[in-house]
Amino acid sequence: MSGGWSGIPWSWNIVTDVRLLWSFEFMRNAVEAGTIIGILAGIIGYFVVLRRSAFASHALGHTGFSGAAAAVLVGVSPVYGLLIFTIATASGMAVLGNRASNRDVEIGTVLAFALGLGLLFLSLYNGYAQEAYSILFGEVLGISSSEVAFTLWTSVGCLAVFALIYRPLLFASLDEDVAEAKGLPLTLLNLAFLVLLAVTISFAVQIIGVLLIFALMVTPAAIAVRLTVRSLTAVIVSVAVAVSAVWAGLFVALWTNYPASFFIVGIIFFEYVVVRGVGALRDTALLRGVEASEGEGVRSLRNAALVASVSQVLFVGGAALLVLSLLTDPGATGRPSLLYRHGYWALVAVASAAILGGASSLLYFSGFRKMATSSREFTAPTFLTLVGLLGIGFAAGGFALYLSGTALATSAYGLAPVAELFGIPLTLLGVTFAVVGLAGQAVGTWRMGLRYREGTLRAGAVLMILPIVGSGVSFLGYRRALAREPALGS
Amino acid sequence: MDAELPSHPPVYQLPAEAEVGSGPPAIEAQRVEVRYRDKLVWKDATFRINPGEFVAVIGPNGAGKTTLFRMLLGLHWPSGGALSVLGGPPRRGNYRIGYVPQRHTLDQDTHLECDKLVRLAYPGARWGPGKRWRPLQWGPRLRLQAERVAAAQALEDAGAADLGSRALGALSGGELQRIFLAEALVGNPDLLLLDEPLSNLDLRRSRELVETIHGLVRSRGVTTLLVAHDINPMIKCLNKVIYIANGNVAVGAPDEVLTSRRLSELYGFHVEVLHDSRGNLVIVGGEDDRGEEGG
Repeated sequence: MSGGWSGIPWSWNIVTDVRLLWSFEFMRNAVEAGTIIGILAGIIGYFVVLRRSAFASHALGHTGFSGAAAAVLVGVSPVYGLLIFTIATASGMAVLGNRASNRDVEIGTVLAFALGLGLLFLSLYNGYAQEAYSILFGEVLGISSSEVAFTLWTSVGCLAVFALIYRPLLFASLDEDVAEAKGLPLTLLNLAFLVLLAVTISFAVQIIGVLLIFALMVTPAAIAVRLTVRSLTAVIVSVAVAVSAVWAGLFVALWTNYPASFFIVGIIFFEYVVVRGVGALRDTALLRGVEASEGEGVRSLRNAALVASVSQVLFVGGAALLVLSLLTDPGATGRPSLLYRHGYWALVAVASAAILGGASSLLYFSGFRKMATSSREFTAPTFLTLVGLLGIGFAAGGFALYLSGTALATSAYGLAPVAELFGIPLTLLGVTFAVVGLAGQAVGTWRMGLRYREGTLRAGAVLMILPIVGSGVSFLGYRRALAREPALGS
Repeated sequence: MDAELPSHPPVYQLPAEAEVGSGPPAIEAQRVEVRYRDKLVWKDATFRINPGEFVAVIGPNGAGKTTLFRMLLGLHWPSGGALSVLGGPPRRGNYRIGYVPQRHTLDQDTHLECDKLVRLAYPGARWGPGKRWRPLQWGPRLRLQAERVAAAQALEDAGAADLGSRALGALSGGELQRIFLAEALVGNPDLLLLDEPLSNLDLRRSRELVETIHGLVRSRGVTTLLVAHDINPMIKCLNKVIYIANGNVAVGAPDEVLTSRRLSELYGFHVEVLHDSRGNLVIVGGEDDRGEEGG
């Protein structure tokens, strides 16, 4: 898949890029199939998560491997072999019983045998390596128009069946014993679910491959249930995550010449880590407030605003010096140098500004955390400033990764693109989080202004979109609040 | 409550004041014998539960309390005798019975709102998408409205009105039991079967839940059977006790059944029932000679 497409003339204009992509038939097929499968996987995945059948779905993918290998040996499209083998396995699981999907040992035994069988089939076939690779890791750009049509119509049928069994399946998944007492046919529902799962997996293998099936079948729904407790909303979010990851993965894959499967899996994994990380952060003891008086909280915030102002002065000054260096450099080497004349001082200023900025974020977080002990309305600013702190860490780490990547590029190591691929998104995510943290500082300062009826603080909160001015005004506001409220102690 | 919701048929009728002991029996058993995998569980059970009665089902582990419930639900057939439930033979899927099983599929990772579970248990809309998505069906809004109102009412009656939008996995044991109670109530049942709802609850929460259930028995007039390990939290509210032990079943008013003489007959060896100054019971020697039936 990689190589050969580097001749595509990319521009920064996304519209023309997409139009260009759309002119390739293989890309149209890939996007169409990816969209259909993303929708199906997003919906079924919600039930996989609810019923805890993640391992069963993994196992179905593995038995599908032997099916695909058998189909290749016989000389038909792998998808037919996938369908036959996975549906047969799914029916077997359903016959074994309702909870068969949780029998880890039996399922594990069968899946190992199925993988071995697939290996045998492939060794009997001549084009061993290429076929194995595309079944194991997916070959989304190799999907033909007729396969897309087949996928579409089968998926429509699956969705119709799904619409019919949605409510009873949801009930049976949540409360099996009551559903049984109410007369729902549990075995039939389980069979229908596993067969739908088998069909979805058979199609998804074409895109993402047997080994990476988990990312498309389970993780989008796992992300969705962390974001909402409503079932229909969760299904919609799950579909949106799956489909958008497939689209973005395809687009980036063609852009960078690396496998689409990696980007699809990577995007979904990254979203999962962020959702879980933010969720864990929200539950953490850090947000529960600490034993501290209100006065200590206000003083922390005053210091935070002061440190932030100094940091911003240093940053603006340093940045100005850098620009000046660039503009006045005579360019002896043909390139303007960052380090000409005032450059060293400018870099020192910007670096100290970054360190002080981190310190002020820490102080803001600590101040709001102390305030949260007195009033619940400071829990949200505490959380947001904590996200901001995390963002500073991400941005620093991501930027370091990117720099090391460019350094490696000169010594021609294969690792260089890896560092860039991870470094740039990590930096961008960190910057986004840092902006969230700034918003948290503004919201918290505004609420402090309301609490102490201090107009200067509210003005400072609004002015935080401007450098220096916002934190300066906030600092004055905190000072006035401390001076005016004797209860805070000074 | 009814005054606020005039636009649709009432979800259930409040009986004037539950008249215990009137009308045809809710459950009638005559010489019922039950086997589980060819092993005799208990035999010769003859009893009658009247509408509106609050009944505790007591007995050691494995005595066949859950089996009694499964028979009433039509999931297990008696091997002898005659059993009738709500005026007919037991049948699976009887919407006049509300059931709270002992085990549940849910766990801490169930990120779904409580309200949804209660609404899924509402009888009727079982197949196909929610009625909201069937534009051709007559009166879909009314049907959806009835389901929503019934769920809200059930949650309120179970003392869980404020839990509806919380995630199932985030609830404590006591809160979860109230949601299951609401799930059983949403179909406005005539018979409630509650299997060990008090297990894993501390004494205070047990008493609170019993108060809620007793309130339901009185206000809705719903006949209620409750399997429990410890009878003390509910002993003052009960109309009858079904005591299952050693393959025998004894049924009657609490002070008739819970005596040293009756329980010794039941177990087939000497069992002592002790009373403390506040009316609590301790049964000594009943369960594997460990004497832990009491509170």
